Amino acid sequence: MLTVALPKGALLKDCIRLFQAAGLDFSAFLDSSNRQLQITDPTGVAQALLVRTHDVPVYVEYGQAQLGIAGYDVLQEKKPNVAQVRNLGFGFCRMSVAVKASSPYRSAMELPPHSRVASKFVHCARDYFDRLDLPVEIIPLYGSVELGPITGMSEAIVDLVSTGRTLKDNGLVELEVLYESTARLIAHPRSYRLNTDGLRDWIGRLDGAIAPH
Amino acid sequence: MIYQPPTGARDLLPIDVAQKRWIEHRLQDVFQCWSYHHIITPTLERLDTLMAGGAVRPETVIQVWDAEEGFLGLRPELTASIARAAATRMVGAIYPQRLYYMANIFRRQSSEQTHGQHEFYQAGVELLGAGSAAADAEIILMLADALTHVGLERWHLVLGDAGLTRSLLWDFPKPLRTKVRAAIARLDRVALETLPLEPVLRERALNLMDLRGEPLEVLQRVSQWTLDDYQRTAAQHLKSVVELLAGHPSVTLDLSLIQTFDYYTGLVFEVVSDSLSGQRVLGQGGRYDQLLGLYHPQAQTIPGIGFSLNVQDLQQVLLGSLPQHLPVSNCLVAADSIEAVAAAFRHAQQMRASEASVRVEVELELRSPSETRTYAQHRHIPQIAWVNAAGSVTIETVSLT
Repeated sequence: MLTVALPKGALLKDCIRLFQAAGLDFSAFLDSSNRQLQITDPTGVAQALLVRTHDVPVYVEYGQAQLGIAGYDVLQEKKPNVAQVRNLGFGFCRMSVAVKASSPYRSAMELPPHSRVASKFVHCARDYFDRLDLPVEIIPLYGSVELGPITGMSEAIVDLVSTGRTLKDNGLVELEVLYESTARLIAHPRSYRLNTDGLRDWIGRLDGAIAPH
Repeated sequence: MIYQPPTGARDLLPIDVAQKRWIEHRLQDVFQCWSYHHIITPTLERLDTLMAGGAVRPETVIQVWDAEEGFLGLRPELTASIARAAATRMVGAIYPQRLYYMANIFRRQSSEQTHGQHEFYQAGVELLGAGSAAADAEIILMLADALTHVGLERWHLVLGDAGLTRSLLWDFPKPLRTKVRAAIARLDRVALETLPLEPVLRERALNLMDLRGEPLEVLQRVSQWTLDDYQRTAAQHLKSVVELLAGHPSVTLDLSLIQTFDYYTGLVFEVVSDSLSGQRVLGQGGRYDQLLGLYHPQAQTIPGIGFSLNVQDLQQVLLGSLPQHLPVSNCLVAADSIEAVAAAFRHAQQMRASEASVRVEVELELRSPSETRTYAQHRHIPQIAWVNAAGSVTIETVSLT
């Protein structure tokens, strides 16, 4: 049976709408009384797993789910061995470098060598500063990254920005955009090659539901 | 202090070995029936030898420094070693040469996957000096025979053609070619959609990424592309191979099946298990017509093709049908006194000599008769031979409940 890994959080509603348009109803995940992490579509042809955003590519890479939806940011950070089969267009955000508004630095290149950069996306941050050939110390955090510069622990942060509101409210300004991110439909490569569980037909059905972008 | 093996290494206890041997014996039977000969190459090779083909990256090799030899590496696969041995040591050999191996290989996993295993076991074959479609078919048919012989019922074969796919990639402008190739190898459609390609080339790249399915149908689709002579010949060769494999179910032709680094020049393939616990790659292989030339003193090349099976993956998939118990002793020989021990050893030796593959063990601790019986029962030994100092023997049947 087709198994789909869906991310908890901001993308979930759009993901469920997309699969509904392709004939699979996983809206039970949106019901606030639901505690189940694995559900079957009412027609019994597919099931869905509800997992943390960073775990979606893990389930897909290991083949426990043949399809999943993950942000490009997560794929860039984890570099999983999964097939990126479609850009879904929703979930738009950007990965940015930000500093305190009062900071003298106005571009990433101006940051002094060996300064500290706090981030949840340590690989993205490391890759970016390596490409700039600027040695920095990356401080891994799990959330509330904005506190890095506010408390003085780090000079800068690398974090996801969608509206820019959180940065502004915390007195930070965006210096650079590393990349822009949208949600991607990902597939288990071997299942995709072998067309396990009619995977390609399912992707075809989702195509009809993906909004042009 | 607790002594443990290094991360990624593991001990194979007797039952693991029994299961591994069960598989290897069956594979070896098949290889020998197809007239292949066993070859053993060194575990350590010079790093240059391992990397000459361009398919092995130095960071994946476990390296050993030797003051005289320089950098050596533990082999991460056997094909490079066999190509070296054939090109330099088998001068004047009559071709084709049919060779097989059963060996351990070592791979350093990247730091991201430190949990990964370092030592693996492979059983494989190399067919050197034959470049025909029949040679390709022999390798695939023998692979199918080997899998049937170990009792695997369901599996998929994914076929590709590294030479044809590489040649189809030549249409892309040079600066983008490696990116297109990498995107196709990773099945990254989104990357192909965003590369700065002309619409015609983008269409072609997207088509190439989805060039897979039932083999003859895929070849039919390819034949409608504008192909040059090399590509037409390659497609024709592939068609001949596919026709020779007729009747073997579950073959997918996938012309996007390429690696970002490899030495393959023609047919490439993967065997994937079809089990409920997920799909595992049980084996892989391909044709390498330029590899031997890299090792030959006059750069004279000889075509080659081979496959390797991942023994541990086979063991995982076959677990239910593998031996679950170690073989038991057929007889326990027990001396009735310390003076009778020499006679007990003589009798045990007579039993071993009189019958093929009989397992006889001698009771070493001079246990009492009742303790000896209990021991035999625990070990499921069906028979005790009591020996006295005079050398006379009394056979007792052990009641095994």
